[in-house]
Amino acid sequence: MSFLDIDERIVKLLELVEFTSSPVTDLKHPPKEGVTVGILEGAICNTHNIEVAKQMRERCQILIAVGDCATFGGVPAMRNLCGTDEALKRAYFDTETVVGGLIPDSPELGKPLEMVTGVGEVVKVDLFIPGCPPRADAFWYALTELLAGRVPIVLPRELFTYD
Amino acid sequence: MTMVNININGQKVSAPAGSTILQAAKKAGIDIPTLCDHPALIPVGACRICVVEVKGQRTLITACTFPISEGLEIQTESPQVVKARKLVLDLLFSERNHYCPYCEMSGDCELQNLGYRYGLDHFIYPTYTKGFPVDATRKYFLMDHNRCVLCGRCERACGGLVANHTLGLRNRGANSMIHADANVPFGQSTCISCGSCLQVCPTGALCDKRSAYMGRDIQTEHIKTTCDQCSIGCGMEIVTRGGNVLKIVGDWDAAVNSGLLCKNGRFDPLYDERQRVTRPLLRLRGKLEPVSWDEALQAVAERIGKANAKDLGVLASTFSTNEALYLLAKLFRKELKTANVGLLNDVAPKLSDKQGLLADIAVSDVILVVGCDPLKDQPVSSFFVKRAVDRGSRLIVVDGKDNGLAPFAYMNLEMADIGKAIEIAQRAGNPVVVYGAGVTDKAATALKKLQGKASFVAIEPGVNTRAAAALGLNNGFKPSGVKVLFTLLGEQKVDEEIVSKNVDKKAFVIAQASFVSPLTERADVVLPMAIWSERAGSLTNTEGSVQKVNKAVEPAGEAKPDWEVISLLADKLGKKLGASLGEISARATQELK
Repeated sequence: MSFLDIDERIVKLLELVEFTSSPVTDLKHPPKEGVTVGILEGAICNTHNIEVAKQMRERCQILIAVGDCATFGGVPAMRNLCGTDEALKRAYFDTETVVGGLIPDSPELGKPLEMVTGVGEVVKVDLFIPGCPPRADAFWYALTELLAGRVPIVLPRELFTYD
Repeated sequence: MTMVNININGQKVSAPAGSTILQAAKKAGIDIPTLCDHPALIPVGACRICVVEVKGQRTLITACTFPISEGLEIQTESPQVVKARKLVLDLLFSERNHYCPYCEMSGDCELQNLGYRYGLDHFIYPTYTKGFPVDATRKYFLMDHNRCVLCGRCERACGGLVANHTLGLRNRGANSMIHADANVPFGQSTCISCGSCLQVCPTGALCDKRSAYMGRDIQTEHIKTTCDQCSIGCGMEIVTRGGNVLKIVGDWDAAVNSGLLCKNGRFDPLYDERQRVTRPLLRLRGKLEPVSWDEALQAVAERIGKANAKDLGVLASTFSTNEALYLLAKLFRKELKTANVGLLNDVAPKLSDKQGLLADIAVSDVILVVGCDPLKDQPVSSFFVKRAVDRGSRLIVVDGKDNGLAPFAYMNLEMADIGKAIEIAQRAGNPVVVYGAGVTDKAATALKKLQGKASFVAIEPGVNTRAAAALGLNNGFKPSGVKVLFTLLGEQKVDEEIVSKNVDKKAFVIAQASFVSPLTERADVVLPMAIWSERAGSLTNTEGSVQKVNKAVEPAGEAKPDWEVISLLADKLGKKLGASLGEISARATQELK
């Protein structure tokens, strides 16, 4: 969502790139032939996240991890400090309004991992744009550098300093 | 002093022999990043951030500990050095749980600044793997172990600067933890809440509770001033934002205390729950009613005008500036010829013509603490004693068993046995006598044997007692028969006992005070006074040093600075004693010489 903070610059961007998929469009997965750039956010909290990360790595030539969750683990990673079992118990049994309580274990769901990590622990990432939220200017810088063919990308300090 | 010539980054640098690479670089204006280093603390080379490349050395060297020698060639930002620093930062950030987004220190954190400086946009090691405890059991500040980088600054400050030795490190490696005493909650430990550890902590591990989230350092103003909670007169800075006092920090450049403060000066003034007097009050038809300054001062002037010199009485608190005390003495003693003038606290006797300084304690081999309890009443002065004891000085406490320094003493004596202590001091090389108002006359006579040999450091009770005594305000106040009693109360804590002891039932009482108390309740006129953060002036500390107090925020309500009230009163009595602070200050300084 912070990607959209680039505001009107997205119009210029659309002249130069083709968006193939995103969670909010009808097409949700990058095509099998692969794409040039993939942008991935969110921490690796369950087995489903691992599948998504691996698929993105496979199908994207350049993988960018954006946001603190994808870079460091972020807020979801706070569950590491007490343990996944403890966290699940608190969420599904010890909540004030729960009667009975059951930890969801449908086979369709991803299984929660013991430790939440950033994306970098699971697949190789080419560029990290940290931030909570990450700066629009950082997105813009990364994409314009890529479009100009300049790799690897090193973010100038001003673009990921938040204080 | 021999100068040594070295080369840093191709630049020729010359520094005194015995300097470390870091000190030499600082002098030459070359910036080497540090984390565990602090100018007031002994360097330990713990964090490895300051590593530099030194030609001929096997590995990278910590600049903070390595002494310079002739011809040394140093690179401070070579690729090897930068790589090493990045690795250290990667390790530091992933070792514990550093969440910048909600940290109180964000923006002022030395660890964060280093992360930004070396372009750390991600960490190469897994993060947030283990939780660490938060200890919030101390009243004024908490310790969040998740943010601790084990730099050891807090431990070095507690042990080396304050000599309280509460903080320590237990276990090793990744299991190392800073703790108090034998790992007890801080609130139950020997911690004296001096806040020295808080002041040196580079991250948000130790953070002040009251000022949390109230602003980053660049959003605040720092006003240098002198603490006026006791007679030591520590240099400090009042940190304000938008006219509010956020917190107090020690001034590292101050001559007396070198940056250290104590609970009484750093925290307690901000937690004062007493009610302020904000408007002039006049007793009309038996009740204290708010009136204008003019009306209140007029009422006072009339009463004083009608009274004879022997009907007047003055009681002064030493929580007053030089300027206020000077005007008080000028008006009442000189102009109105009042002799019945006294102080609300005791004055230490003068035992020597030579002024002993707190710094003398540092080079002493025997210290006598006689008739005062610096650990409880003037804590920063007790740090001098404790540091000296750490260094091998022998401490002899001549006071009761409850004296705060008794546990640190080589010998504890009753005042009657002071002879024993004096004998030992006579045999010493550099004895120091630290004494207060509790010295009995007999003991004072006995101590005169050490004149010429020992340094006598008087620790005055109260605050500006030196100035008050020098201005003749300690003339022995007698309450009975006083028809008009003028009390300059300042911020002093006043209880019922003070009222019953000093106030004649028939007296017309004027109370110039900052806080509501039994005395202001009894008074017929109450004149509201500004407190320590609200007025400028000067204070004379127990060593005789005149130090400036600066104004940080506007006075509450209609309160005025202590000297201004007396100046206005004098005007009403037809005596022009000076209108501006500068003028009054100059005259006061002259008088106190």
